[in-house]
Amino acid sequence: METDVLIIGAGPAGLAAALETASRGLAVILIDESSSLGGQLPQQTQLIRPLPSEYGPLRGFELAEKLINQLEDYPINYLLQHRVVGLYADGSVGVTDEENVFPVKAKKMIMATGAAERAVAFPKWTMPGIMTIGAAQTLINRDFVLPGNEAVIIGSSDFAMDVALQLMAVGVNVKGIVEEQPEVQASDNVKIEQVQQSGVPIYLNASIIEARGNGEVAEIDIEHTGTVLTEKVDLVCVDGGRSPILDLFYQLGCSFGYQEKLGGWIPQYNSNFQTDREDAFLAGNAAGITSQGAILLTGMVAGISVCEKLQAISHDEAQQIRGSLFKELEILEDKDIWESRIHHIERYANPKLKDQFIS
Amino acid sequence: METRFETVVIGGGVVGSGIAYHLSERYKGGVLVLDKKYPMTGTSGSTQAWVWVHNKTPSWYAEFNMYSAELYPYLSKKIGDVEYKRTGGLSPFFSEEDREKALKLAEAYREIGIKIKVLSREEVLEKEPSMNPEVVGATYSSIDGNVNPFRLVDMYMRAAKKNGVNYSTYNKVTGIEKQDGKFTVVSDKETYECKNLILAGGTWSRELGEMLGINIPVNQLRGQILVSEPLKPFLNHTISGLRQANNGEVLMGYSMEEKGFDRSTTLDVIQETANMALHYVPSLKKAKIVRAFSGIRAMPEDGFPIIGKVPGVENLYVAATHSGVTLSPLIGTLITELIMDGETSIPIDRYSISRFGVGVKG
Amino acid sequence: MNRLDKSTIICRCEEISYEEIEEVIGNGARTFDDIKRLTRCGMGPCQAKICTSLVAKVIHEETGKPLHEIPLPRMRMPLSPIKLETLATDSTSFSTVKSVLDEVELEDGKVR
Repeated sequence: METDVLIIGAGPAGLAAALETASRGLAVILIDESSSLGGQLPQQTQLIRPLPSEYGPLRGFELAEKLINQLEDYPINYLLQHRVVGLYADGSVGVTDEENVFPVKAKKMIMATGAAERAVAFPKWTMPGIMTIGAAQTLINRDFVLPGNEAVIIGSSDFAMDVALQLMAVGVNVKGIVEEQPEVQASDNVKIEQVQQSGVPIYLNASIIEARGNGEVAEIDIEHTGTVLTEKVDLVCVDGGRSPILDLFYQLGCSFGYQEKLGGWIPQYNSNFQTDREDAFLAGNAAGITSQGAILLTGMVAGISVCEKLQAISHDEAQQIRGSLFKELEILEDKDIWESRIHHIERYANPKLKDQFIS
Repeated sequence: METRFETVVIGGGVVGSGIAYHLSERYKGGVLVLDKKYPMTGTSGSTQAWVWVHNKTPSWYAEFNMYSAELYPYLSKKIGDVEYKRTGGLSPFFSEEDREKALKLAEAYREIGIKIKVLSREEVLEKEPSMNPEVVGATYSSIDGNVNPFRLVDMYMRAAKKNGVNYSTYNKVTGIEKQDGKFTVVSDKETYECKNLILAGGTWSRELGEMLGINIPVNQLRGQILVSEPLKPFLNHTISGLRQANNGEVLMGYSMEEKGFDRSTTLDVIQETANMALHYVPSLKKAKIVRAFSGIRAMPEDGFPIIGKVPGVENLYVAATHSGVTLSPLIGTLITELIMDGETSIPIDRYSISRFGVGVKG
Repeated sequence: MNRLDKSTIICRCEEISYEEIEEVIGNGARTFDDIKRLTRCGMGPCQAKICTSLVAKVIHEETGKPLHEIPLPRMRMPLSPIKLETLATDSTSFSTVKSVLDEVELEDGKVR
């Protein structure tokens, strides 16, 4: 199977990149292991803002619908329920549909493979009933399963606040939010207020001592201002933050840099969102953990850069579009994240980790 | 920080740590093992770890491997459980034409006292019911087996340290000189002095030799290996190409590529290896592969181990070979004998570095 | 920082505790891969996807190394588990894969 552009990951970044490339006449294959397009978006009920100017504030599933419908008119080859397993010696990507493994040769590829949640360890953290906030959200919004009845949430990011609200909306008693920093990590004040107004205590400078239970979690000890608070729970949702999924980049021999604010180790890339492998570009959370609006913009930048390399648009036009996308990215993205990203791009010629496979 | 040792071993993999351990059992002098990273970063940490004798040719080489395999049970008693299993080894063939080769091999081995049997189809399937019923025969030897390489090197290191051996890891050697009867070994962290120097640098042996102006002709040959999820124990033997580990994982692979020091894997070889594995054991088809890794074999120019003194440089020893897992107990014993007794209990002239023509480069 | 006591599990697939990792770091292990080879941490079904960040924290705690100097574990194909029959093709020719018997050569009716 051959194509101009192989886009790996059909979440928001992949869909945005698909629009830029397919709408300019490039042959695009879009691959995702899920049975539907949109990544995490279809199961997100919260209102997302800010989004790039062409999208107003939308709920997650509404944004997903819009991104998918935009692609209607273009002959994109969708390979759903397909996953990438590895690479061939000639650089083709090995794809499986669970029956066979076959090579896909693309002139350029855009990796929008997203991020994974990090684990949070404390004594007995592996007991049933203790899960990530993303897992809790998936259970509620995708699987329509109640993950528990009495919950404690560890972490206070915007995502954690979203999940706290979602849990309460389905009747879960959220008994507290435990944050180890001295201040709440979320930046959306509307959400924070909503959570506080529902009567959920937020413990700052607090940490977990241990969880207890017989075969599944039943209690959790929280240390707060020198005292120990014990809560009876059957659900603990942890927010360990997210970091980019790196394994495909690693196999491609890409170099990596380290940016704490972007999620730790991330693939090294330049201002075209091109990795140090000539044919491989990236977009979305894979390029550093950021907000939804920024994710879309990175997908667009990667798409434009690929169009430029494959001569579907001129260099000048690409520079112009990229310029305005970057301007918008600076506005949309959290200041810390934007600065880390610029710092990371500046290190392109000098990555921290490279040549991983050379013994 | 002590910088003077009677003996320094460069390389802490299965060969280097094996030598350090065996030496420390008899030797009273100070021993330091230097590793440029941590032991098992190289070949020793990326191997199927067969302890394999049969099919090795010529027969004097098979005999050499046999002596080493026979040292394993005692070694386990001394250093602890390394999950050594003498499973017996099967090398199957699928066409009658190969039976002749097999019979000749059995004959050649008989002459030096190694018993291998050439099995009929029925006998193979009786020994290994999961074998492909299309198999036509196999050579079989009861001496072959396998070991857990991680346990092996870890146990060697722990036992050596208990006997007083020092290890300095993440400490790359950058220069070696010989002067006034001693070696000066310059490394990242320190400069050491020693009387005896043992080069056990595996795939990097050439580089080490060059520091002393010596040609140690070791090349690199990559092998890719697949690892399955843990499966219920069902493979009784070490089959040339696959084996089942203690925790149920099946390791598959016997590939050879000249890729220098590149440790990546490729779907091309992974798929070929899957084909081979299913060809031998069709019932593996639903087993999931969780990982494919690759290791670089330290391959001496003529395929045979380089073991012994380096002619022309007193107190310099070299040990570089593939099949390091199989041969480490024997190599450890032999180098110890050379240092302590000045001679070895079995002849090792065939393995001398002098066969490559040059002792010391001009 | 949540309390991590000696028995806290770090690698949930292979059930490797903080204590076991601490011990091998005491023996000179410095990277994820060193720790993996000595304890089996990261060799389970998730292939270190879950424990990578936790182990980095332990290395940082025990050695003081900053997180940006703790390298990634070696990641491998397949990117997620896959059945052998899916990987296999119908080909019966092997160019790089051999049988040990292939290496035996006969010369004048005798083994070389």
